[in-house]
This record gives sequence, C-alpha cells and structure tokens, in this order.
Amino acid sequence: MEQFKKMNKETANRLNSLVYMGPAIIFMVFLIGIPLIQVIWDSFHAKSLTNPNLNGFVGLNNFKKVLSDQLFISNLNNTIIWTVLSVFGELILGLIVGIALNQKIKGRVIFRSLIIVPWIVPIAVAGLTWTWMLNPDYGIINYLLVKTGLIDHSIYWLGNAKTSLLTVTFINIWRTFPYWVISILAGLQSIPEDLYEASAIDGANIFQRFFHVTLPGLKNVITTLIFMHIIWTSVNFDFIWITTEGGPNYSSETLPIMIYRYAMKNYDIGSSSALSVIIISILLMLFAVIPLVRLLTRKKKIKEAA
Amino acid sequence: MVKGKSEILFSKIATYLILSFCSIFSIFPFFWMISTALKPDTEIYSTTPSFFSNNFSLTNFIEVLNESDFLTFFKNSFFVSVVTTIIGLIIAVLAGYSLSRFGRYKSIKFAGFSLTVSQMVPGVLLLIPIYMIFKEIHLINSYTALILAYSTFVIPLSTFMMKGFLDSVSISLEESAALDGASRFRTLVQIILPVSIPSLVSTGLYTFVTAWNEYMFGYVLINDVAHRTLTPGITLFRGQFTTDWGNLMAASVLAVIPVTIIFAFLQRYLISGLMSGAVKG
Repeated sequence: MEQFKKMNKETANRLNSLVYMGPAIIFMVFLIGIPLIQVIWDSFHAKSLTNPNLNGFVGLNNFKKVLSDQLFISNLNNTIIWTVLSVFGELILGLIVGIALNQKIKGRVIFRSLIIVPWIVPIAVAGLTWTWMLNPDYGIINYLLVKTGLIDHSIYWLGNAKTSLLTVTFINIWRTFPYWVISILAGLQSIPEDLYEASAIDGANIFQRFFHVTLPGLKNVITTLIFMHIIWTSVNFDFIWITTEGGPNYSSETLPIMIYRYAMKNYDIGSSSALSVIIISILLMLFAVIPLVRLLTRKKKIKEAA
Repeated sequence: MVKGKSEILFSKIATYLILSFCSIFSIFPFFWMISTALKPDTEIYSTTPSFFSNNFSLTNFIEVLNESDFLTFFKNSFFVSVVTTIIGLIIAVLAGYSLSRFGRYKSIKFAGFSLTVSQMVPGVLLLIPIYMIFKEIHLINSYTALILAYSTFVIPLSTFMMKGFLDSVSISLEESAALDGASRFRTLVQIILPVSIPSLVSTGLYTFVTAWNEYMFGYVLINDVAHRTLTPGITLFRGQFTTDWGNLMAASVLAVIPVTIIFAFLQRYLISGLMSGAVKG
C-alpha cells in the first residue's frame, strides 16, 4: 500500500513536471524549432515571396547562387570586421571602466548609473541620435572635430564608403560596452581582496597585479562575454539597418542585412534561406572550435605543470 | 595594503579621469537629443550649434504629439510590451518551477537543454521563416504576431532567472503546505509566488524592456500604421530626402521616457538580474 502511494506520487510528479514545462516547450517548438526546419527546407527549394507558382527541389542551386554572389565575400569580410572590432572595443572599454568602477572612490554609484545609460535605450533611438550627431551639415561631432582642428572639413561619416562600417561599429561599441562593464564588475567583485594584498606584498606593481590577479580571475566572465558577443554582434541587424541600411553601395552590408535584402527586396526566399543555413553552419563551427581550444590549452597547462 | 602614496594618488586621479570621461561619453548623446528637441528649427539647422538654446521651445513635442502617429505607436508598444510581460512571466514561472523541482527527470533535463540551445539561435535567422509562417496564418499586421515572437525570445532567459530564484526557496515550505492537503499548483501560487516578488519584478522588467526596445520583428511583421510599434515608428520620421530632426529627437525623448523611469526606480533589480544572467552566460 505504502509502495503504491509512493509510485502514485512519483507518477503525479512526472506528469506535473511536463505540464509545467509544456507552455515553454510549445513556444520553442512552434516559433524556433519549426521555423528552423523551414529555413533548412527552403534552402533546398525554389521559393519566392511574390510568386507562389515557383516551387520545387533545386538541390544546391540556392547555395551556389549565394556563394557566387560577388557581394558574399565582401559582406563576409564586413561581418568579420564589424564583429571583431566591436567585441575588441567593448572588451577594452569594459575592462578599463569595470576596473575603475571597482575602486573604492566617492560617487561610484552615480558613475555606474551614468555609464549604464546607453544600454537601456532602444537601438533605434541610439542609432538615430548618432546619425543626427554625425550629420555632415549640422552635426555636433563634425563641428567639434573641425573646431578642435582634428579634421579639416566635415566628413559624412555614415554616408562615405570608407567610413560607414567603422562608424556603425563605433556606435555599437558605445551602446554595448555598459553590458560588459556590469558583467566585468560582477566578476571583479568575486576576486578575493587578499589576493591583491598578497601580490602587493610580493612587490607586484599595478600592471603585474592586473596580469597575474585580475585577468585570471576574470577569465570565465570574459570568455563567456566574448563568446556570446561574437554571436550577438555577427547576427545583429538593427544597428546597421537603422544607420546605413548597409550602404552606401553595400560598403557596410553584413550577412544579416543580406538575408533581409534577398528576401524582402529580391523576394528570393530560397537564397535568403540558403544564406541563413550558411551562417548557422559558420556559427556551429565556432561552437565546435571553442571546446577544442579549451582542451588544447588545458593539455598545455598540464604539460607545463609536469 | 602596501602601496606607495604616489601610486594611490595616481590611481585615484586616473580612476576619476576615466570615469568622468566615460560618463560624458555615455550621456552626451542623450543630452544632445534633449537639447535638439527643445530648440527651434532655426537653431537646429545652424552651422554653429549651441549647447543650450536661449529660445527654449516645445514646438517639436507639440508637433510630434498632435501631427504625427506617435501616440498610436506609443500605445501599440505599450500594449504589446505589457501583454508580452504577462505571458512571458506566467510561462517562465511554470517552466522555471519545473526545472527547479523536477530537474532530476531526463525529460526536464532535455527541456532545459533545449531552452539553452533556443537562446543561442539568432532571431535574424528565424525572421524570414517566421514572416512566411505568419503570412500563411494571416498574423502579419497583428499584435499577436509581435507578442508571440517577443515571448519566444524572452522565455529562455526568464525561465533561467526564475529557476535560479526558485532554487533558493526552501522545499520544506512546500512540503508543509502539501501535508495540509494543498495541491502543487495552489502551493506555487499561494506560498511560493508571494515570496518571489523581487525576482518576478526583475524578470518582468527584463521582458518589458526587451519588448519595448525590439526593432527588427516590429519592422518586418508590421506594415500598417494602426499596429506599428514605437521603435520602427520613430525611424519613419526620417524622410527619404529631408528629415525633421527636431521632431525626430522629440519623439526619441518621449520613447525613452518609460525605460528611463523603469530604470531610475528599479535599477538595483535590473542590474542584479542582468548580473545573474551574465555570470551564468
């Protein structure tokens, strides 16, 4: 009887666990699982946004079309530049400001509140405000740069093929670095104070303390941040679309913008899906590389220890 | 601490310099946004811009509120964000509870893993298939489309935030309620939720701000003024050839107000939520 009751409770628990998890799973299946399968399916089929008669299996044709698109390589390049520079800039700023905010100084709560502001604001607003500040005729940035003599004459930062991508990257860094600051600050606060004191007693200077205490203590936080932001930045659509729409003349177009252009401007769902699948593959390869790197560095460490 | 006096002084000065410079860097665009919104057009389009205008004017705000669809966009964003927050919270509480209490079951372990993977799938890769599916079932130009999409993208992180909190709620609290004959669901609603208010607030805020700030799905899934939300809406103030920057900046100021209020009052919740999410990755 006792056994029966226990089993009954166990069954009830199992049932409960599934009922509670159910709604979340339904959302994931219908809005992530099925669209993901759809994208893979469409990448091997002819499909148009406007012409419903266009259909059928086309093998790898969509992939061939994307890979032979002249813009694919330059857009891939743009995506890499945009991602690497953004993540690098955010890391450097995040480290500097995070460490500064971790000092025992007056007003640090106020500084923290001010510095986090860009991150809470919609990307659309951030992008438009910077577009206005960078305006070649009436923008404050050009005015200040010319006045201080840093440049001779106004530059159309977002409208010039040479500067557009770098300028959007700068705007992205401005909007995103507060997230790094807060995360790095959380990581810094978990490093025990006596580690710093011990190394100071050992005669380590400020830079030695940074490289031997601070950085190792932040290793996990920084690895996670870099990894997440490589993904988030490389697939970001908003910043570039709002500021330059990928222009002028595709100079700031990245792969996510290209997905949108294929589908919504060229009405070519097949190619758009093939490009999505290519991006998924690249990201999956990144996923595969990271554990490998970890494994190798660990082996090296063990060797060094031995 | 064994540090030289000069070193302490040096690092203090450096710290203040860095923090002051970065604060200005962070804040300046907002200052400029507000400053532009309050200027008359003649001063906005001046080749020698002034930081503070002498002829303070509310014309831009009045034009935005009276002569544009701003209020419709604002109302739409508010509605979509509130409904997303409610749906997201209900689902996250249930799923977080399941993960926290039944994590030992293989099925739930797998569900947790699926949520982690879902969190990694970039929205832009799902944009076109979701558009096609919604077109098929006539959801384009509806609030439902946005609410479904936004809920989906906040559920994973919200669920993990709730799980993290529920892990810290003692099981003995539930067991005593169960002995009194209360069902699991009643225990969750009457005993656990009341002690979870801080984490409900931070999870809810995260959802609201995410939905309020979202741009891409709002831009692609909505094509009519009646349902358009604020973030795609304000980009429409930028014209093909000329842009009324005064109006655009006034609209931006108004769009930022709700998130600023949320942030000013509940900064602690938001940062602790962000930190717990960030550290776990």
